[in-house]
Amino acid sequence: MAASSLSTQTHFNPTPPKTHLGLFNQNQVVLYGKTTTTTCRRRFISCSAEDKTVVIGLAADSGCGKSTFMRRLTSVFGGAAEPPKGGNPDSNTLISEMTTVICLDDYHSLDRTGRKEKGVTALDPRANDFDLMYHQVKAIKEGIPVDKPIYNHVSGLLDPPELIKPPKILVIEGLHPMYDARVRELLDFSIYLDISNEVKFAWKIQRDMAERGHSLESIKASIDARKSDFDAYIDPQKQYADAVIQVLPTQLIPDDNEGNVLRVRLIMKEGVKYFDPVYLFDEGSTISWIPCGRKLTCSYPGIKFTYCPDTYYGHEVSVLEMDGQFDRLDELIYVESHLSNISTKFYGEVTQQMLKHADFPGSNNGTGLFQTIIGLKIRDLYEQITRTKTAAPLEATKA
Amino acid sequence: MASSLSLTPFNFRPHPRFSPPSSSSLPRSGRKPAAGVRSEMKIYKGTRIREQRLTEMIEQKVAEAKQVCGEDETSDECKVAWDEVEEVSQAKADLRLKIHHLQQDPLEHFCQENPETDECRIYED
Repeated sequence: MAASSLSTQTHFNPTPPKTHLGLFNQNQVVLYGKTTTTTCRRRFISCSAEDKTVVIGLAADSGCGKSTFMRRLTSVFGGAAEPPKGGNPDSNTLISEMTTVICLDDYHSLDRTGRKEKGVTALDPRANDFDLMYHQVKAIKEGIPVDKPIYNHVSGLLDPPELIKPPKILVIEGLHPMYDARVRELLDFSIYLDISNEVKFAWKIQRDMAERGHSLESIKASIDARKSDFDAYIDPQKQYADAVIQVLPTQLIPDDNEGNVLRVRLIMKEGVKYFDPVYLFDEGSTISWIPCGRKLTCSYPGIKFTYCPDTYYGHEVSVLEMDGQFDRLDELIYVESHLSNISTKFYGEVTQQMLKHADFPGSNNGTGLFQTIIGLKIRDLYEQITRTKTAAPLEATKA
Repeated sequence: MASSLSLTPFNFRPHPRFSPPSSSSLPRSGRKPAAGVRSEMKIYKGTRIREQRLTEMIEQKVAEAKQVCGEDETSDECKVAWDEVEEVSQAKADLRLKIHHLQQDPLEHFCQENPETDECRIYED
């Protein structure tokens, strides 16, 4: 992609001090936008591709910017994602060469004390400033750096803001990326990570049982107490997502409640721009596939794939499902070679990406596999969007 | 006396078991750190203090939540109390993940610039 010499990275700094946390006048945004387009028409290089950031939304309840999904996603684009250097060590932001991951907890309007006083959980929309979220995401999308607040999860306070420069790909991760309609409009692609209650319980046990303060009861009580707010505010976002990764207990082992073997469903909306759902063998048909047999030996409980069209909250979707675990490298490659529309650039890319993060949870089951595949689909989406943008100004100059 | 040179660099290293690739088996998914990845990791005192602080906070907040919910399980205060427990538990888990799996000490950059501060002394186990 041509690096435009007319850099669009002028820091938009309104004259009042930064206490307003990066809010700016609507007029000035429009003006900025106009300048860019006019300049581009006079030049013969396409520079508008640099201006617009591709924005991805990820709804997940598992903390921010440090989740394995984010790491897999950013690694697909190359490079490791790291917290901003030299800034607040408790920053939730992750930055790599191509991507910046923002944690939506940073848009809490109430800190921990404030929420306690008002009696609202972090899941409640009242604890979040959607206006600020919308304005800042919009600004970044248009190529304007912003001063984004930081929510410190250790102290529970709102720390001084950090500067976020527009990256090529912005990922907003948190509890409410699709809650506000205006923010939804800004998203080029959205994902919802839907963990079933049994699996959530099993994972939280693994996460917390080693802690002195926790017991099985406290972990269960914590999940139950948050459930009503979760179901009311977070869960409904599923219907807006372009892709849902649903994690359920396995059906291969009767009465398995350890959550080690998982059944993972990748629910992909049909008709989404720049996104062609992954399929098995024949698009739009119903397939049930057990790869283990003569060509491939699997150990217990094996692997089972299903693919079928379906409807989900009134939308046409395609569902690819994997139940079981990978035990060996060759199983992974064998499965990869039978999947279609996975947007890899070379044979074995999915396997390679999975191996890169082999010690992360989910590396041997559908969670890691589908997260990696979604990462590749996002890369493909990004390349399509930038290709379309470069084509348009070139057409204009030819005319 | 602080020394920032002993920390491992930021670059994520591929899992030692998989270079070169062969038909070796994949590790079981789990939260335990992989063998051989974290052994030389030294962390700063400031980070260790933070870990301890979070551990104490978890205990404290769980006790608080049990007490508040003992009075009325369906109240807003009860929900908020358990939500705080969740928040702090997640913060602790994230810190653990950073240190043990990713070898990214959150104080790394701060300590490279300010090696003389108390927080930046290497924590000797």
